[in-house]
Amino acid sequence: MKDLKKLVRDFWYGKPAEEMRMADLYIQPTGLYKHREWRGVKDTFYYMYMIWGYNYLHMVMDVMKYGSLIDFVKGLWRYRWMGQTYIPVLHWFDRGLEGLRGPALRGSAWHYRAMVCSTIRQFQTMFQADTKLHGGKKNDHYYHTLAIKETFWGGIFYGWSDKFIAQPLEMIPYFVTCHVNSHVVLNYIDAAQSIGLPGDPCPMCQAEEGLFVLDDVPDYSPLFFTVNEACDGSVGSTILQDWFFDKPLFALPMTMQFDNEEVMKNTMNEIEQCWAFMEEQTGVPMNMDLLKQRINEQNALQEFEWEKWDVAANTNSYPICGVAQALYRIYQSQYGTWGANDIWHQTDKKIRKIMENAVVNKINTFPKTRHRVIAWSCAPLYYSNWCSWAYNAWGLNVIINMDSLMFDMTLRTDTKENILYDMAKYHLWAPMRRMAVGGLHHIFELWAYMERFNCDMVAMYDQLQCKGMQGVHGLFEDEFRERNINAFWVPHALPDSRTVSRAEIRKLISDYMSTVMGEEPIDPSLLDFDDSQTW
Amino acid sequence: MKAKLLKALILAFGANALLFVVFFFDLDGKFLFYIYEPFMKKHYDEMPRRDMTKMPYEINKPNVEFDV
Amino acid sequence: MRDLKHLIAFEKLLEEANNPLVRQAKEEGLKALGYTCYFMPEVLLDLPGCFSVRLRAPGCTSPDIATYYLSGRVCHYGRSLFERALEGGYNFLDAQMATETCTVTCRFQEHLGYMDVIQNPDFFVDFTDVPFKKTKNAIDHYKTELQYHVLNPLHEKFGIDTSDEAIRKAIEQHNEVCNLIQEIGSYRKLDNPTITGFEFQIIQLVSLTCPKHLILPMLRETAKEMKTRKPDKKPTYRCKVILAGSECDDPYFTQLIEGCGALVVADRHCYGSIESRVPIEIQDGEDALEAVARHYLKTSQCPRFMPQDDMRARKQFLADLAKEYKADGIIVESNKFCEYWSYERTIDTIILPRDFGIPVCSIEKEYINGASGQLRTRFQAFVESIEIKKIQEAI
Repeated sequence: MKDLKKLVRDFWYGKPAEEMRMADLYIQPTGLYKHREWRGVKDTFYYMYMIWGYNYLHMVMDVMKYGSLIDFVKGLWRYRWMGQTYIPVLHWFDRGLEGLRGPALRGSAWHYRAMVCSTIRQFQTMFQADTKLHGGKKNDHYYHTLAIKETFWGGIFYGWSDKFIAQPLEMIPYFVTCHVNSHVVLNYIDAAQSIGLPGDPCPMCQAEEGLFVLDDVPDYSPLFFTVNEACDGSVGSTILQDWFFDKPLFALPMTMQFDNEEVMKNTMNEIEQCWAFMEEQTGVPMNMDLLKQRINEQNALQEFEWEKWDVAANTNSYPICGVAQALYRIYQSQYGTWGANDIWHQTDKKIRKIMENAVVNKINTFPKTRHRVIAWSCAPLYYSNWCSWAYNAWGLNVIINMDSLMFDMTLRTDTKENILYDMAKYHLWAPMRRMAVGGLHHIFELWAYMERFNCDMVAMYDQLQCKGMQGVHGLFEDEFRERNINAFWVPHALPDSRTVSRAEIRKLISDYMSTVMGEEPIDPSLLDFDDSQTW
Repeated sequence: MKAKLLKALILAFGANALLFVVFFFDLDGKFLFYIYEPFMKKHYDEMPRRDMTKMPYEINKPNVEFDV
Repeated sequence: MRDLKHLIAFEKLLEEANNPLVRQAKEEGLKALGYTCYFMPEVLLDLPGCFSVRLRAPGCTSPDIATYYLSGRVCHYGRSLFERALEGGYNFLDAQMATETCTVTCRFQEHLGYMDVIQNPDFFVDFTDVPFKKTKNAIDHYKTELQYHVLNPLHEKFGIDTSDEAIRKAIEQHNEVCNLIQEIGSYRKLDNPTITGFEFQIIQLVSLTCPKHLILPMLRETAKEMKTRKPDKKPTYRCKVILAGSECDDPYFTQLIEGCGALVVADRHCYGSIESRVPIEIQDGEDALEAVARHYLKTSQCPRFMPQDDMRARKQFLADLAKEYKADGIIVESNKFCEYWSYERTIDTIILPRDFGIPVCSIEKEYINGASGQLRTRFQAFVESIEIKKIQEAI
């Protein structure tokens, strides 16, 4: 009778955390599921209809909304990064949302949905203008699309957003694909090295070059705008990109010593020169009112982000998992907004509802939490969902991460001077720049944020080919010891899963948790499993 | 009318049940992993590609005629 | 060829950063100012009352403690400098005039400030922001930065005269060094050069690492000596090459190349003379600081410059250099883990042979290479390939 009761209870609510054996669901080493996770009746069917079904449906609807189905099919057939990653996107959801229930499941899934929607808008923007998909023809879309480096902030062109779409060059072909299907990028890294590029530069930049070497970059714009952010690698990679792309290029260099007030004038001048280049090339003047409007729309997103941080820092009702928080924030802040009703604003409305409900009802959204973790530096793209694993296996709840904290500001719109100043500042605080390769004092903002978000542990990413972060490795070790902070390192090579495998990352964390922290896993099945072929 | 409703209900239930089976047993993933991706991979591996190292490298900036 | 009178003395001066001439200048009460990158204008650090020392870490083969701090996955040069600093090799420095021009040297210099490594109570580190362009906006910005982060601290902390007049005086001295080095270097353009790349690099390096007023008399003598120096009757080299690329302050690397039969006739790398020994010209209407700012941006061929014209012109520059120095090929080197030069080297290796017909040997090296068998094999093969090319062209 007791067993039956428990069976019914497990059926209705899902198994309690300590009884779950998540890895038993995997078909090793593929990462496929024998069957998807049973999360109780309500959450399983929510997942099936509102996440799995809803997103499959919208993956078709959005394709039509942001372009044509024919261009989509052509793009799918033409580009490896597209064909091998777009279709398995729901498995990316599965991996990131493992073990989540209630508001955490819903809130995180809506973040994923927004990223997919933005991704569709972006690849459709490229495909409809791409000469490679239109017999070499430069159509009207081609002349209304701007190619920008993925670390170039799209908001620079807000003032032209009624006529032009600023489309990051590598954002979808490189950055997004790494998360969804980690195998694809390896083709590009190898290709870059095949023309003589050494294997030691940042693998992100290598992969960006590899896309060109394999002729897998859509030709969708007459112009190319590049930037020196985040690091030497971006500067270096521009050398080859300029050659392969062979288009008029504008470089927007950001000052390196960005804390010094006197550098602002230079950065502001550079932005103005970028605008002048744009006007000179296209003959279209910038619309200042539109620029202000877009900035205000973006500010609204930032203000809500601060509300989210407040909940994350001060309650245990924050409904966003670590991976969703990090990726959504990068996508949204780097790409920028495209209107007051774009997917970011729509998503924020939904999140507000979910979050308020969780806070009012004092729902513990991550009940397995043992440690509140802050993740610092740049995350492994092929295993951004490591934090879902860490939560399920060890109760490590990644509350916030460095990438989320980058653009920590709103922009003023009262005068042109202030707009330029704030735009410059915003760009100077770009991902991977301020707190990864920026000055030491910015890198050590970690301690303040750790306190602000009430975290008791640090997940220290160790991007093995990032010269900036490698160059502070020892100081971090010293500081962790002096401050008596529990911190574990997560070594990785950004997109390249061959350097440090997912299994190695898990082993290092598990070793730390059992030997240093002396803890027992919540789900022992997650300690050792083979996912080497997982997307 | 009743029969039609019943038929619609059964159909809807059947469709949902089928959908549930696909969802729950990860049949979409299995199809994509074992059939779709190997096929596409083969296609991309065999695709002829331009030798990009043959791209010109003019010292003077390439020109573009903008047509907006 | 007859030995140069001061060559052995020069070579000895390069054995340590705190060499006898540096010590002598310190005894004279001058302030020693360290720097690592071309973009920290040495001329401003050579103002009356102070002198510049471009940092090197000769003989540093195992930077163990620095590797703990900076990891083993960054440029060996940055790690070696830091190791030398930790060993106390730079305790003579009164200040480090830093630039964030490449990540690892930036990190090295940040550590100097953060960790209180230099055992000198007055020591400080100040960073100058260096632009990525050569435009008017960039020159103005650079000038402001040099004022804020070089001249002002030197004046405030050490009472150095940083007036326009003082800068002009420093430029005068700097230009004399440049003219002498250029004169000595010009013998590399001869059909049968009267100076080897190894000898020239030693002379160039002492001019970067020793107080100018103390090294100048020896440079003057060497220049005079060069006027009558006769080449060997039978050339000892099999071809002439340009050495281009990233940081390279190891004359024994050049010696290694020359030992394989390739005479190094031009040095376009971070410590080379091609850019750094162009005299500074003050144009009409310019003040001295503006001239310095313009000069250092305009003369540089560093791959950090991002405008399209600059990126593309760099290849033409190397091709023109090969013509001017009658070089048969170019050795493009980059230090392992150098991001900028990894890319520039790749494109040079493809474009220079393809579009300019110049053979290129592409090398990734460590800071200290010693007698590397692998490199020797590469250079020997390169020399042979050039000889074969010459034979084929003659047929």
